Amino acid sequence: MSCANVIKKERTSVINPLVTCQPMGAMYAVSGIRRGLPLVHGSQGCSTFVRYSFSRHFREPSEIAVTSLHEDAAVFGGRKNLISGIENLAIRFKPNLIGAISTCSSEIIGDDMEGFIKVAKEDLKKRMGEKEAEKVKIVPISTPSFVETHFKGYDNAIKALVDNLAEDPSESNEKVNIIPGMVNPGDVREIKHMLGLMGVEGIILTDISDPFDSPLRPSTTETKPFYPKGGTTVEEICDTSNSRGTISLCGYAGSGAVSLEKKYDVPAAVGSIPIGVKNTDQFLRNLKKFTGLEIPDTILDERGLLIDSMADLVSRYLFGRKVAIYGDPAITSGIARFVCELGMIPSIVCTGVESPEFVDEMKKVAKESDGAVDVLIRSDLRDLETHLQENPVDLMIGHSDGRLFAKALDVPLIRVGFPVYDRVGYHRVPIVGYNGGISLIDRITNAVFEKYYDHEHWKLQQ
Amino acid sequence: MQSAVKSSKNSEKSDKGNEKVTNSSKLNVSVNKSLIKDLFTDESSSDEIVIDPVPESIIKTLESRLDHMCVKKSEDGGGPSCNTASVPGIVTQRSCVYGGARVVLMPITDAIHLVHGPIGCASCTWDIRGSRTSGEDLYKTGFSTNLEEKDIVFGGEKKLADTITELNNLYKPAAIFVYSTCVVGLIGDDLKAVCREAEKITKCRVIPVQSEGFRSFNKSLGHQLACDAMLDYLIGTGELDGKLKSEINAQPTLNIVGEFNVAGDLWAIKPLIEKMGVNVLSVLTGDSCVEDIANAHYADLNIVQCQKSSNYLARQMEEKYGIHYLKVNFFGIEDTAKSLKIISEFFQNPKMIEKADEIIKTEIANVRSEISHYKKRLAGKGVAVYVGGNKAWSLIRAFEELGMNVIMTGTQNGLPEDYERIMETVSEGTLVVDDANSMELSRLLQKYQPDLVISGAKEKYMTHKLGIPFCDFNHDRIASFAGFKGFINFAKELNRAVSSPVWKFTPKKYHGIVKNE
Repeated sequence: MSCANVIKKERTSVINPLVTCQPMGAMYAVSGIRRGLPLVHGSQGCSTFVRYSFSRHFREPSEIAVTSLHEDAAVFGGRKNLISGIENLAIRFKPNLIGAISTCSSEIIGDDMEGFIKVAKEDLKKRMGEKEAEKVKIVPISTPSFVETHFKGYDNAIKALVDNLAEDPSESNEKVNIIPGMVNPGDVREIKHMLGLMGVEGIILTDISDPFDSPLRPSTTETKPFYPKGGTTVEEICDTSNSRGTISLCGYAGSGAVSLEKKYDVPAAVGSIPIGVKNTDQFLRNLKKFTGLEIPDTILDERGLLIDSMADLVSRYLFGRKVAIYGDPAITSGIARFVCELGMIPSIVCTGVESPEFVDEMKKVAKESDGAVDVLIRSDLRDLETHLQENPVDLMIGHSDGRLFAKALDVPLIRVGFPVYDRVGYHRVPIVGYNGGISLIDRITNAVFEKYYDHEHWKLQQ
Repeated sequence: MQSAVKSSKNSEKSDKGNEKVTNSSKLNVSVNKSLIKDLFTDESSSDEIVIDPVPESIIKTLESRLDHMCVKKSEDGGGPSCNTASVPGIVTQRSCVYGGARVVLMPITDAIHLVHGPIGCASCTWDIRGSRTSGEDLYKTGFSTNLEEKDIVFGGEKKLADTITELNNLYKPAAIFVYSTCVVGLIGDDLKAVCREAEKITKCRVIPVQSEGFRSFNKSLGHQLACDAMLDYLIGTGELDGKLKSEINAQPTLNIVGEFNVAGDLWAIKPLIEKMGVNVLSVLTGDSCVEDIANAHYADLNIVQCQKSSNYLARQMEEKYGIHYLKVNFFGIEDTAKSLKIISEFFQNPKMIEKADEIIKTEIANVRSEISHYKKRLAGKGVAVYVGGNKAWSLIRAFEELGMNVIMTGTQNGLPEDYERIMETVSEGTLVVDDANSMELSRLLQKYQPDLVISGAKEKYMTHKLGIPFCDFNHDRIASFAGFKGFINFAKELNRAVSSPVWKFTPKKYHGIVKNE
C-alpha cells in the first residue's frame, strides 16, 4: 500500500495547457444530438477554433454556428445577434435542437440568453408557423469561459439538456440513461455493445459515436443541409425521466444524473469510467441494479478474454513499470486504476482540473498501487514535463500534446483521449469495457516491446 | 477596375431566412471554358464526361448573401460584396481578430506568445500554425494568463504582470508578445501600461498586441494589429553588430515580408534569392528571430509574399524608413520566375539580372520535366479554391500551369483590394465567393462538382463527405509548395489527391447503394 502525493501547480501562468474552456465541452455534447446544432454566442474564433480541433481529432466535419459578436455587441449587448442567429439557423438548417452556448464575452456583457430565446421562439412561430417552430427545441447552456474547464462545460450542457427537455414521467421505458463523458466514438460504441449484450436499451447523453465517425454517404440533394447520421434524438432526451436509472461514466459529469434523480426520482449512479476490470465490473453491476437483469455469459466471456490477455502479458512485460498518465480527469483516473491491475505503477497522474473527487479517486488508486503516486492537479504540460525530468517513468499514456517532450525524454507515448491528431484511428478504438481493456493492453505491451526489447529477438516470451 | 468591387457599406438587409436563388441578370453568361475532363485519368473509359457549364443561377442562399457571389464576366466585371459582418447563426468559416494577429506573429521563433485571457483562447490556438523553424522553438509553447472569475471581477492586470515576470525568469525569451482577447477588452485591462511596466522590470521586450477577438468581423484587422505591434515596438530598434554591418555592406539586402514558413516554404524561396547575390536580412515573420526583425529597417528592399496580411506592413515601412517594396508571389513557376526577375531588376545590377535569368532557365527546365507526369493526370480538372487570404488569387496561375481550371475561388476575409486582384486574375466564367459559410460551400461544391478543393482543415472533411478530392493549403500542410522545388511538391500532392483510387468508390452523383437521404 502506498500513498498519493497531491501536488498543485504553483505558477501563475499556464504553460502548454491541459484543458480548454467551458464552451468546447458544450459544443461536444450538443454535437451528439441528432440534427442538433451548437450555436455559440460569442466571437467567431470561439466556434472556429473548436471546429478546427474537432476536425483535427475526429477527421470529420464539425458544424458549429456562431452569433458573430462584434464591437457593437460589446457596447449594446448581443440581443440582436442571438435572436437573428437562432432564426437564421432554425430556418436554414431546420434542426431538431439548437444548443445556445454562452462564452466569456456574452457572460460578461450580461446577455439574458433565456429571455432572448423566448423572443426568438415567438418570432420563429410567426415566420415558420407554430407547428414547425415547435419542432426546433432551443436550449440555453451557460458556459462562462473563465470558470473551470471544458469538462464543466460538458457537464453543464448535459444538465441543461435534461433540465429543459425531460418531460414529466409517465410509464417506465425500461431504459437506462448513460452519460459517457468526453470519450471517443469507439468508446460509446463499446458501451452500446455492452448494453446490447445485457439486453438493455440505453439513452446515451449524448451519442457522438456516429456524428463524429460518420460514413461517406452524403445527402443526395444539393439544397438539404448536411447532417451526419446518428446521435441521440430529442425524443430520447425528453424520455430520460422515464428511465430506470442514470449512469454517469465519469465523476465530472454527474449533474444531469443528479438533477433527474431529484426531479423525477430516476436513480443516479455517478461513477468511474469503465476502464479496466474493476471499473467495468462496477458498470455492469450498476446496470444489473437498475434493470434487475442478469449479466450474461457472453459478457463473462469478454471479461475472460481480457483476463486471459492480462495473464499472458502482464507479469513478464508490464509488471513494475512506471507510468505517467495525463489528460481528462475521468480517463486518467480510470487508466491509473487499470494500470494498477496490470501490476504497473501509475507513478504520475496529471490533470488540468482541480477536483476533490479526482483526488479522492486517486487516493483509492494509490492504495491499489505498488508504489507512490504523485497526483498533479490544476496542472499543465510543463509541470508534467519538469516533474518527469526528475522522476523518470517507463511509459507515458496521454494525448498528442505530450508528444514532443515524450520524444525528448525518450519515453514511449501511448495515445489516448482528446486530442489525438498525430495518429489515426484512435478515436475509433475503444479503451472502455473489457474489449477496450484488451486493445489498450495490446497497445501498451507493443509499446514496451518496441522500446525495451531486442528487435531481433524472436522469442519475446523468454 | 476602380469601384468594381462593392465594399463594406452594404445596406443592412434583413435576413428573413428565405433561401433565394441568385438569378440576377449579371450572371447570364455561359462559360467559354472547356470543361471536358478525365481525358488523361481513366484510359479504360472511352466516355467523355461532360460537366454542365456554370449555370445562370448560383445557389439558394440568404438574400443578403446574394451579392457575395458572382461570376467573372469580362475584363471589367464587378466583384462580390465583401468586408461585411457575417450573418449571425450561420456556420462561418471565419476566425476572430485575435486569431488574425496570432497567425502573423506566431512564427517568431524565439519569443513567448502569451495569451491574456481565459484558457480556451490559448488552448485552441497553441502550435497550430504549421510554421517551421531552423533553430529556436519557443514559439511552439502555449502560454496563457488563464483569467478566471476573480480576475474578471477585479481585473487581470496584476496577474498579467506577475505572469510576464514569471515567464521571463523561466525562459529568458528574446521578447514577450502579449495578446489581448475578448474579455480583456471588456474588463478594460490596460495592456499597454502593464507591458510598459513589465518591460522595465524584466528588461525584456514586452510587446502588447491589442487583438480583442470581437474588434472586427474581419480577421484582417488582426493582421494589421500584429503589423502595428512590430512597427511600434520592434522594427527600427535593432543596433547593428559588426558582423551584420559587414554583411550589409557586402551585398544588397532585403526583407521577405508576409512569408510564414508554413511547411518550410521559406526554405524554398530564400536560397533562390541568395543565389542571385542578395542577402535576406529578415523574414517577417517565418523562421525569424526577434533581433532580425528589430534590424529589418536596414534593408534595401521589402518583398511581400502574403499581400493579404502584410501589404500594410510594407507600406508603413516605406513611409517610415523609405524602403521600397515589391509584391511577389512564389507559388507557381511563372510567378516565381517573375518575382526573381523583378527583384534582380530592382537592384539594377547587370550581373544579378544575368544570374537571375540563369537560375530561372535551369530551374524551369528542371521543374517542367519533373512535373510532366503529373500534368498529364491533372490537365483539364476543375479546381475550387477557398482560403483565408491571398491564395485565392496567387494560386490561380499555378493551376493554369498544370492545365487545370479554377472554376471557383473565394476567401473568408477578403477586402475590396483582394477581390480586385482576384477579378483581375481569374478567367471568364469563374465563380467568386466571399465569406461562404459551410452550407453555401457544400451547395456550391455539389452544384459545380469540382475535381479538387483547396482549403483548410475545417473544410477538408466536408469536402470528402461530398466525394471530392481535397488538398490542404493551410496550417496542416506538410509539404512546401513555394518556389520551383515547392511547385513539384504541389503537383505531386494534387496528383495524390485527384488520382487516389478511393474516388472510384465515391461517385459524385449518388445512385444505388451509396444513396443516403
